[in-house]
Amino acid sequence: MAKIIPEKEIPSLASELTKTHTVYAPVIKGDETVFSEINDSAEIALNYSQTPLPPKMYFLPANEELFKVVDDELQKAGGIKPFIVFLNLKDLKAVNYLDKIMQKEPADTFYLQRRSVSTLVATTESAVGSHNGSDLTLEKRNNSTYLAHSFTEKGNKILKSSLFKEAPIPEKSAQEPLPNHFDELLLDSGLLAQAVEWSRENSPSTWEALGKICLSCGICTYVCPLCFCTSTEDKTSIDGSECTRCRKWDACTLPRFAQVAGGHNFRPTQKDRYYNWFYHKFVRAYKEFGQAQCVACGRCQKYCPAGIDIEKILTRLVEDYKKAHTKKT
Amino acid sequence: MKNKPKIAIFDFTDCEGCEVALVSLREKLVEIATETEIVNWRLAQKKADDGPYDIVLIEGTPITQTEIDTLKFLRGQTKILVGLGSCATLAGIPGIIDKEARSGWYEKIYGKDYKPRGIDALPLSAYVLVDYSIHGCPVDKSELLRVIQELLAGKTPKNPGYSVCFECKLAGNPCRLLDKKPCLGPITAGGCGAICIKGGSPCYGCFGIRQDAQVDNLVMTLRKFSDPAKIENYFSMFLKKTPEYKKLFDNKKERNGKP
Amino acid sequence: MENALLPKKAKLVKIEDLSPDVKLLRVKLSNSSFPTNDSGLTFNPGQFMLLGVWGYGESPFGPSSSPYEAGFIDFGVRNVGVVTKHLHELEVGDTVTLRGPYGNGYPLNSMQGKDIVMVTGGCGIPPIASLIEYLIKNRKSFGKIYLIYGAAAPDNLLFRNSYLRWQKAIEIILTVDKPSPDWKGCTGFVNAHLGKVKVDPDNTLVAACGPGPMTAALAKTLGGMGISKRQFFVSEERRMSCGIGRCQHCTCGDTYVCLDGPVFSYDQVEGVWD
Repeated sequence: MAKIIPEKEIPSLASELTKTHTVYAPVIKGDETVFSEINDSAEIALNYSQTPLPPKMYFLPANEELFKVVDDELQKAGGIKPFIVFLNLKDLKAVNYLDKIMQKEPADTFYLQRRSVSTLVATTESAVGSHNGSDLTLEKRNNSTYLAHSFTEKGNKILKSSLFKEAPIPEKSAQEPLPNHFDELLLDSGLLAQAVEWSRENSPSTWEALGKICLSCGICTYVCPLCFCTSTEDKTSIDGSECTRCRKWDACTLPRFAQVAGGHNFRPTQKDRYYNWFYHKFVRAYKEFGQAQCVACGRCQKYCPAGIDIEKILTRLVEDYKKAHTKKT
Repeated sequence: MKNKPKIAIFDFTDCEGCEVALVSLREKLVEIATETEIVNWRLAQKKADDGPYDIVLIEGTPITQTEIDTLKFLRGQTKILVGLGSCATLAGIPGIIDKEARSGWYEKIYGKDYKPRGIDALPLSAYVLVDYSIHGCPVDKSELLRVIQELLAGKTPKNPGYSVCFECKLAGNPCRLLDKKPCLGPITAGGCGAICIKGGSPCYGCFGIRQDAQVDNLVMTLRKFSDPAKIENYFSMFLKKTPEYKKLFDNKKERNGKP
Repeated sequence: MENALLPKKAKLVKIEDLSPDVKLLRVKLSNSSFPTNDSGLTFNPGQFMLLGVWGYGESPFGPSSSPYEAGFIDFGVRNVGVVTKHLHELEVGDTVTLRGPYGNGYPLNSMQGKDIVMVTGGCGIPPIASLIEYLIKNRKSFGKIYLIYGAAAPDNLLFRNSYLRWQKAIEIILTVDKPSPDWKGCTGFVNAHLGKVKVDPDNTLVAACGPGPMTAALAKTLGGMGISKRQFFVSEERRMSCGIGRCQHCTCGDTYVCLDGPVFSYDQVEGVWD
C-alpha cells in the first residue's frame, strides 16, 4: 500500500498547508509561471519548466538584513516562519547543490537557518527512486494521480493530511520526460570544465565576441537557481543610532564585482567578466565540488536580453575542444 | 555636542517634482530636519539664510546666466554640492534639444524679435564640481534617503553599481527587450525599483548610465528590432548631454529637435 | 553554531600617524586577549582580518603587530575608501568590529633554517612588519634576513620607529622614488636593489607584498639570481568581502584569495588569467 493524492487535490493540500506554513509554489501569471506565495485555492503549475526567479530567493533573499546594531548593541534577529516550497526536480537539484555550497565550513548561518525551517515538496513525472533531497516528492503516475514519496520527518508530517489516501501503487502511465541536449551536456562535468578552461586561450574569438554582446545586466545571475554571489553594504539611520548590515545579490558580470578600494579592477573588461561567469559555473565549481554549477534549467538563456544562447556556446566549445584533441592523437 | 550640519535646497529651471519627493519623505524629512538645520529652502519654508552651508542640494537645470552665476556662487558657499534629480544631474527634459535647435524653435514660435533668456540646458557638472548626483525623474524616495543618510554619516555616496534589470527582475516585470521593445534598463544604474517598466513604459535612463556600462552592446541588441532614429530618440530623452550620447550619435547631423 | 559573518567587538586603544595618509590603529578586545592558534600565535603573519565599523562596513587588513602579542593587534590603514575614511575619523576609545584571522599567511614552517628576503613597497608593509617581528623573535632559526622596502618618498615609509630595533637583527635596505635632500637611503624600485642581497639561492625564501607589476619584476630578477618561483611568496590583493570563501569577490582562477591565500608561491599565481 502507498499514499496517493489526486492531482485536483494538490491545490487543496497547498491551501491546507498555509494554515501552518508560508507556502510558495509556481503559479501562472500572464504568460509566465512565477514563484509566489500561495493563499487558499490557488492553482499550482505542477509541471512548470522555468520561472524567471528561482526558488533560491527563499533561502538566499535578494535583499537581506544580516545584522542590526542599535546604540552599539547587536539586536537579536526575529525567527522565520516555517515555509514550504513546491518545486520541480531541476530546481530541487539546485537547492540541494546550494545546500552543499552553503554548508561548507565555515557555513553560512543565514542560509542554513532558512533551510532548517523549510520543507521542499518536489513534483515530477519521472519515476522516483531513492532519496532525492526533497522532504516529499509527488510523482505523477497517471493523468489524475500522484504517488507520494516521503523522505524525512517533515515529509511525513505533510503525509498526515487526509487528502492522501491509502491505495495500491497506481500503474505508471504518465510520460517519462526525456533528457534534453543541455541535460546530456551536463552528464560530463569534467569535459565541460576542460572545454571551458581550454577555450580561454584556444578560442579567444568566442570570448571576444561575447564581450561585445553581453549587456552586463546581471540577469543570467539573478535568474540562475545556483548563482549565489552577494555584496554586503552597511546603512546608518539619519540620527546615527541604528546601523544595519545588508547583503544583496550581486553579479560577477557587473563591472564593480572585482574592483578593490582605490579603484583597481581585477577584471577590467566585459570579456573577462563574462568568461568568469562560465569559469565559475563550469570550472571553479567543478574543481571545488566535482560537479558543474548548473542544472540545465535554461533560465539564463531564456531571459538573456541580448539573446545569448549558453547551451549553444557550451556545445560548440565542447565540440571544438574534442576536435582539437582528436587531431593531436 | 557636534554642530548640526547646515543644509540648503535650491532650484533652477524644473518642475519641482524632486523637491516634492523630498517633501514626501514625511516622517523621515522631519527626522532629517531634527538632525540637521535646513537653513534655506524656498519651496518649504520662510527661513532663507545665506551661506556658508555644509550641504547644498540643487534641483533643476541652470538655464539663464543668473542661474549659472548663482550655481557658481553656491559652489563656493558649500562643502558638499549635490545634484537633485535628472534635470540637475543630466540636464533632464530641458536638455532634450540643443542650443542651436532651441534658437530655431524660439524664432518659429515667438518670432525674430524675441530675446530669449535661456542660454542652454546643461547639467550642473558642466559649470561646477558636483560631489554627488541623485539621478531620477523624479528621484526615488528610498535612494534619496539613502544618499542623505550616507552624507550625514560622513560617507561618500556611490551610485548603484547594478542595472535597473536587478530591480526589474525582482519586481516580476516581463523583459521589454525580450518582447522586442526598446529599453535602456541594462545600461542604467538601478535604484528606481524599475517603476517605469512596471507601469508599462520603457526605461529612458533617467538614473544615469551605470559605471562601465556596455552601451555599444545594448545598441547592437536594440538594432535587432529598432531603427537608428528610434534608438537615438530613446537616448536623447535623458542622456543627450552625456559623453556616451555624443560618442554614439554626435558624428551624425542633428536630425531630431530641429523645427 | 557560530555565525561566521558576525564580527567581534573591539576597542581602539591607540592611534598613530604612520604617514600623511596611513594611520596605525591598535585594537583590543573588551575583556579578553585574542585567542591563539596551534603555533601559539594570534595570527600567522600574512593572514588578514576584517576590520570594520558598524554602519560603514569591513575591509581586509594584514595585521602589523607581533603575532606573539595577544593583548592587542595593530593595523596600518590607508585612507582609500568608505571604511578606511571612517576608520581614520575614529578616536581612541571608539568601537570597531573585527573578524578573522583568515587565509594562510606566509609559510613559516618552510622558512625555518633558510635565508629570508622580504620585499615590499608602499603600504604593503604591515604583514611584512609582523613577519619581521616573528623572525626576530625566532632569530636563531633563520640564516640571513633582509628587508627591501620601497616607497614614493621618505615620508611614505611606514613604521619608521621600528627600523633601529629591526636593524639589530636584520639587514634593511630602504629605497624611495623621490628622495628628500637629507635622504641617506637608496633610490629607485625595490627590484633594483635585490643585487645587494647576499644569500644562498638554494636555501632562500622570498616573501613579498606589493602590486602585480612589482612582484612580476621581482620574479624575473630572482630567477636570474637562481631563486625559483616556488621559493617566492607573494600576497595577492583582491576584494575580500565575506572572508569565508563564499561571496566570490576575491576569486583568482580556481582559488579563493580569502581561503587559499592571500599568500601564494609565485608559480601558483603566475599567468593565471584571473
